[in-house]
Amino acid sequence: MGKLLIVNGSPRAEKSNSKKYAEIFQSFWPEKADTYSAVSQKSHALFSHIQQYEHLLFVFPLYTDAVPAVLLSFLKELETVPLAKSVKIHVIINCGFLEPKQNEVALSILRYFCKKNHLVFGMALGIATGEAILATPFAFLVRRKMKKFVKGILAGKSETLTTAMPLSKQLFLKASAQYWKNYGKQFHTSEEEMRSLKIEGE
Amino acid sequence: MNLLLSDHSFPKDLPQKEENHYIDLTQLQIKNCLGCFGCWVKTPGKCVLRDDAVKVYPLIARSKNLIYVSRLYCGCYDEPMKRMMERAIPMQQAFIRLHHGETHHVQRNVVEKKAVIIAYGEIPKQEREIFKKLVERNSHNMLFSDWSISFVSEEHLEQTIRAEVDAWENC
Repeated sequence: MGKLLIVNGSPRAEKSNSKKYAEIFQSFWPEKADTYSAVSQKSHALFSHIQQYEHLLFVFPLYTDAVPAVLLSFLKELETVPLAKSVKIHVIINCGFLEPKQNEVALSILRYFCKKNHLVFGMALGIATGEAILATPFAFLVRRKMKKFVKGILAGKSETLTTAMPLSKQLFLKASAQYWKNYGKQFHTSEEEMRSLKIEGE
Repeated sequence: MNLLLSDHSFPKDLPQKEENHYIDLTQLQIKNCLGCFGCWVKTPGKCVLRDDAVKVYPLIARSKNLIYVSRLYCGCYDEPMKRMMERAIPMQQAFIRLHHGETHHVQRNVVEKKAVIIAYGEIPKQEREIFKKLVERNSHNMLFSDWSISFVSEEHLEQTIRAEVDAWENC
């Protein structure tokens, strides 16, 4: 099976949904996995022992249709250090949109990273509606797919899995609007203020 | 308004006009987005990080003609441009709408724009294909009414920038 390192590529790190997805992953992974946060910028310490890992799992949110800049920075550093010969790269990506296909370009970027560096790409899980799904009754869909994702890694497979809340577009728009209105309320920001068309400097 | 946003130095003698803005990202201090959603839920339309990015995204929003100049990394904009794009999300609301049949964020006062992306460096075919798909996705999220990509060597970058800026005259 080999040791596994989870690289959290979210700028939000400790407060991120990526951390929650990583925790769900760990609940199915048979051994304790190590974790590293890309924003910590402690790669020097990590790289001193990175060759012990047989699996690197990148968990990150979709940022402007692609990989977050903070993770790009880590990937650039990673390609300068020797990894275990048999290392496999796996990915869990989440976006707040309804369509899992919106994650595809970011997955292509990671696949290309693997090809460029002669690394094996293993399993991928693309989660749509990922900002809110864990706080809904549909969270079980993520757990179910995560279990399959883990089985895939253990079986040495290379597949892309996807999941999302099974909502119509109209229902999703309504539910996401409510989600963000509630989010704003925590900061005493009204819906009207959140819907402002003004951008600073106007 | 016309905007050139570049992660590479550009010719110093580009036409100086009131409607033209030229920004060299290498001369700015721009931190990574915190992912705090502050620009959506605390101070809508305004980033909580007060560095040079806050001078840039209002210009992106107002530009009708936009040129992005960026090195690529694995089929993605390289860090400086990607970082700036992430810091430009105050241009959007948290709320989602249907746009071209897909779910995307609602834009604030963002002018629909004609975008030219100049990707420079030695870029293999597969990387170009990934980047084309990325820009296509960006076009939905960044209100590109029309867009094109030029893949050029660093050696030809200056003349490509000059030609694209000159093309603003005909817009």
